[in-house]
Amino acid sequence: MSLDIKGEYIQEMIITFRAMIFTQNSVINFSSFVFVFFFIFLVLNFIYTESNQHLVKNIVFAQTLDNLTLSALIKQGSPYYGNLSAPLVVVDFSDFQCHLCKRYVDNTEQQINSSYIQPDKAVYVFKHLPNRGFDSKNASLAAQCTNDQGKFWEFHKILYANQGPIDSGWVNTENLKKFVSQLPNINITEFNSCFDTKMYESFIDKDIALANSLGFTETPSFIIMSSDGSIIEKIQGPKPFPIFKTVIDTLEKQNTTKN
Amino acid sequence: MTGLLAFKIVYSSNPILYIAITILVFISFWIFFNIFDELLFFSPILYFYLPDDAIVGFVFTNIIALLLGIVVSMNIYLIKNLKLKIGKSLISGSFLGIVTSACASCSSIGFIIISTFGGAGMVATAFLTNYQIPLRVLSIGIMIYALYAINKKITGSCIVDKDDSNDKVKS
Repeated sequence: MSLDIKGEYIQEMIITFRAMIFTQNSVINFSSFVFVFFFIFLVLNFIYTESNQHLVKNIVFAQTLDNLTLSALIKQGSPYYGNLSAPLVVVDFSDFQCHLCKRYVDNTEQQINSSYIQPDKAVYVFKHLPNRGFDSKNASLAAQCTNDQGKFWEFHKILYANQGPIDSGWVNTENLKKFVSQLPNINITEFNSCFDTKMYESFIDKDIALANSLGFTETPSFIIMSSDGSIIEKIQGPKPFPIFKTVIDTLEKQNTTKN
Repeated sequence: MTGLLAFKIVYSSNPILYIAITILVFISFWIFFNIFDELLFFSPILYFYLPDDAIVGFVFTNIIALLLGIVVSMNIYLIKNLKLKIGKSLISGSFLGIVTSACASCSSIGFIIISTFGGAGMVATAFLTNYQIPLRVLSIGIMIYALYAINKKITGSCIVDKDDSNDKVKS
């Protein structure tokens, strides 16, 4: 009995709702409903991103000095290039299967390199964040193994130059070994023993854990910080060079003032 | 010709209103699509850039945003002047356009899907990323169909122009 009443009540509500949406004189119609819905979604996304950014900054400051210093990152075995005595550090969290990471590498990284790394203003450090597909971790494991032989950045270049669709098999074990064989003077036996035993699995898991603790929700994500980790800024997404320039220059000024 | 007639009927009935709706919807979705495609940035500086790999997607999202503007304003005209329900093609076309833009990138939305649905989410975002361009073409196709369906409704119906005080009947 109560179910019938509920059913009638729901039916009546549906009829009223439909009348509200589709009647001739109604101000609200479905088109505007769809539009308003997605506008609200957009606003909420902005709020989420902004609040997340604030949260991340707090987390970073809470665990700074011990974990997030240049020396700690180098000690962990993270791949890097640049002069270690540079005052700033750019930490890049990327996935080799992510097409926006490739966009960043093709468009922005070179400019960061020529403007900040080559003039010894910053050091570039790579962190693994393989979260785009099932094969992503495989690519990270292989890349970290090449780092043992000082070939990480060459392998990094090869992978992004040959990037294919996510999980299409372009970074399966066989293809990764083929890419590695293209590296000059690489010791394949040494690489295979590292890669086949998944030697760096826990290392990559730690990178993922660090990214998660920082609240990074997308690849590529970045931390721009002073080498002692006392000043930290976060960038998420494949931002163009002018945005990096604004952040790095501001940080450079802050760091100079502090010292 | 009937297509042009439908445009003429809608945009001449209240030019300011319907052109304003079209422009508003176009701009809103243009901003929406370009933010999720990581082409438009508001912080720390306002910046727009168009790398080579994004040109095709950018052209498609512009077409989708423009079609959305036109189709939404024509639907509003239909609902205002006729007791007709909104076409399913508008909903599916706009939904597909939004989904391919928002989920196809390595964006936070993609990550939310992955973290919420685990392996299935990863498969879904990988699919949306890999087939972003074909899905956008499909979205444009659906939007064009929506436009065709609306044209048919407007030109094939007996519409009472409410804006006209004489209530003249167009056929």
